[in-house]
Amino acid sequence: MVATSRPSAHPLSTLVTRLETGGALLPETPDNLLEVVGVLKSYGIVLDAYWQNLTYIANHQFLVLFPVFKYFNGEVTLPKLLRHLGHDRINYEFAEYCMKSMFWHGGGGLDTYLDSPEFLTRARAAIQAKLRPNLPMRGINRLFPDFLPEQVRVMAYYSALGQFWRVMSHMFLELSDLYDQGKIRAIADVVAHIQQRLVDAASLPITYAVTVHGQRYDIIPESAGLTFLADTAVPYIEAVFLRSFPFFGTVSYNAQAHQISAHQEDFNYGALFADPLPIGGAGIPPTLLMQDMSHFIPDYLHAFYMNSSRGEDDLRVKICVSFQKSMFCVTTAAILGTLPHPLDTAELPQQQANRAYIEGWVDRLAESRLLSVQ
Amino acid sequence: MLSVLIWLPLVGVIVIGCLPQAVSASRIRQIALVLTTGVLAWTGILISQFDISLSGLQFQESLPWLDTLGLTYQLGMDGLALPLVGMSSLLIWLSIYSSDANVTRPRLYYCLMLILSAGVAGAFLAQNLLLFFLFYEVELVPLYLIIAIWGGARRGYAAMKFLIYTAVSGILILAAFFGLALLSGTFSFDYDVVKHQTLPLGTQVVLLVVLLIGFGIKIPIVPLHTWLPDTHVEAPTPVSVLLAGVLLKLGTYGLLRFGLGLFPDAWQVLAPGLAVLAVINVLYGSFVAIAQTDMKKIVAYSSVGHMGYILLAIAVASPLSIAGAIAQMVSHGLISGLLFFLVGVVYAKTGTRDVTVLRGLLNPERGLPLIGTLMIAAAMASAGIPGMVGFVAEFIVYRSSILVFPIPTLLCMIGTALTAVYFLNLINRVFFGRLSDPVSNLPAIYWKDRIPSIVILALVITLGLQPNWMMRWSERTSLALGSLATEHSITSLAPLMRDGLIEIFRTPSVMPAHLSPHLPTL
Repeated sequence: MVATSRPSAHPLSTLVTRLETGGALLPETPDNLLEVVGVLKSYGIVLDAYWQNLTYIANHQFLVLFPVFKYFNGEVTLPKLLRHLGHDRINYEFAEYCMKSMFWHGGGGLDTYLDSPEFLTRARAAIQAKLRPNLPMRGINRLFPDFLPEQVRVMAYYSALGQFWRVMSHMFLELSDLYDQGKIRAIADVVAHIQQRLVDAASLPITYAVTVHGQRYDIIPESAGLTFLADTAVPYIEAVFLRSFPFFGTVSYNAQAHQISAHQEDFNYGALFADPLPIGGAGIPPTLLMQDMSHFIPDYLHAFYMNSSRGEDDLRVKICVSFQKSMFCVTTAAILGTLPHPLDTAELPQQQANRAYIEGWVDRLAESRLLSVQ
Repeated sequence: MLSVLIWLPLVGVIVIGCLPQAVSASRIRQIALVLTTGVLAWTGILISQFDISLSGLQFQESLPWLDTLGLTYQLGMDGLALPLVGMSSLLIWLSIYSSDANVTRPRLYYCLMLILSAGVAGAFLAQNLLLFFLFYEVELVPLYLIIAIWGGARRGYAAMKFLIYTAVSGILILAAFFGLALLSGTFSFDYDVVKHQTLPLGTQVVLLVVLLIGFGIKIPIVPLHTWLPDTHVEAPTPVSVLLAGVLLKLGTYGLLRFGLGLFPDAWQVLAPGLAVLAVINVLYGSFVAIAQTDMKKIVAYSSVGHMGYILLAIAVASPLSIAGAIAQMVSHGLISGLLFFLVGVVYAKTGTRDVTVLRGLLNPERGLPLIGTLMIAAAMASAGIPGMVGFVAEFIVYRSSILVFPIPTLLCMIGTALTAVYFLNLINRVFFGRLSDPVSNLPAIYWKDRIPSIVILALVITLGLQPNWMMRWSERTSLALGSLATEHSITSLAPLMRDGLIEIFRTPSVMPAHLSPHLPTL
């Protein structure tokens, strides 16, 4: 596809060349395809539940001080409570961890907007409306005037991540349907599908409004100009894929031993870097997400997992490995979708710029699980 | 009744030996299991029929065999033999249960295991010196063959070393028995007959030293121990279990039965030296265990150390210490068996026992979390944590020895602490941390792999919480053996041992009425 004059001299030149020729970070094998599509189907189902809950919290738990039933999506019944207590439920906490990761790392237009005077004005209006009949909350607001606006920022992230995952959920479920129809036959098809759907949704507006006492308050109006790709997808990949990810119980870091970078932008504890093997004997599964996805693994992928030596015992580890493979496909789509120049450009300077861009990404992913999935 | 324990496995040998070649290994294993289940059940019946108020031999059998040689088929069981027979029946059953279902040459393998079962039972039950020697030698053959055929890479070397050491042990024991028979003038090998003969103290000491070296090889006493780590490392797991759990006990059993039992006067002369040897065993075994990197060698040297506690107890030779020695024999048999089973599972699943390679095996998803948990429990038991049988045994040993041999006892207590050092070191290196990459894709583990360890651990905890269920069987025999020694004692502490310490573990059921209100029970 591309014909640069010299092959890449990068230590991971195989990967650079593969990306330059339209391939993916993940090698093209039938097993990889099966794993990626299968796990993305279950991920799509789980994301569907996550985005609905995030949206519910953003819209209906707005400035609720003790949102005890925030994971119930408004359906508080005894059977559901018992199921919840018996842990027969989706781990919505995971979605919140991702939201908090985005919130902490920031980035994109959303972060900028939430620090703007316009946001503060809109947030204060909604806060005043919400506090009018609530004396304790008014007291809190008087004592700590920055507290409730910060909570509104958090609510905005709930909503933004919900909107982002809504698109992603549909994208992954559509991918699974296409695979079932025989239209997805290679990893390259997976990457192409994701890339195309990201492009399709790129300019979707990200908005957030709450209704308080029958009155609608726009927190993020469409006029703020926030869009799907630049203001949610890219910050999400930066925060969750690269910088941090709530793989609790997998690795312990000691900041005092300088195992944590002093610079937030250098963090590399994201999903693509996470160790799928849990540490020690605490019995903590490799993330709540893997536990959630384990309920929705398609039969063909489950059969594939059962063929391995440990069978059901290490199901969550295997899901985690497959999940990381699938996320390398999403990352490939993001890299190819954000190349400075078309991949098939004939201009040498453009090819060199593309190569530099790709090599920068490969450098950044060199310490990730990338090499272990080759 | 006792003959069943010997002849049922031998009938099994004939049955399995006559099976056609086409019979599968798993079917042969089932037959062996059925037979050893019969032995185990019969042992249970014997235990239920055993009268704990008697100190002498029970279920005695006597048949003439080669009268001209003094060899008679005399069997009997007392409180010393009963716990060891019970433990060996259980461990042999578990060893056959845990044997590889697809073992090569299964007919030979299971025949040898059954011969071993018969030999061990015969040795514990024999009441004729020559008969004991015969059974003592009989168990040597199957062990040698099993190690030589199914052992590890250096099995030839290990099996030959085991054969030479144990053969020398047998020769020395036979020499001592012949010497006793000749010098006593009776030329009898009947235990009850020779027991009541009198010999000059010097002669007794010489014969006892010969016996001590003979049984010392089997125990093993440092520096006669070098065969043990090599044999353990090369032996298959079931044999390691039996070696540590049962066969080493033949040495301490022999010392008690034939050393202390036949030469109580000489025993008093050699006892201080034996206590020193006990300390050397404990400290040497523990320090060398700390330096090992092979899990099996760590457990093997741990065995060397823990056999030192038994030596210390039998050096004291008071009723309480004899009870402690028997308890420690049972305790060590169970705990070392448990440790070898667990190491065997780790080796079978990971292909290595090297603590520098293994790491993170407690990993809940891809490691061996239950095996790791059991290993932690086994290490706790071995280190004498209260609530487990190891604590009971070591406490009784120390309680009985502290006044007689205070310095050796304190030094042995250091050995107990060192047990925690090498086992915690092992656990820390092998089971904690991130699962090392070479073993990050282990094969599945099945309940069959776990059950033997769980059964033994259940016993270790049960007997730790309710030690009287273990002690009551050997109470009267301990009293008799200990009294035998104290009556011949040349130490001024004898009356205290007889009248003071003994009551510490007396139970109301067999205690003199005038003492019972004042004495605690275990």
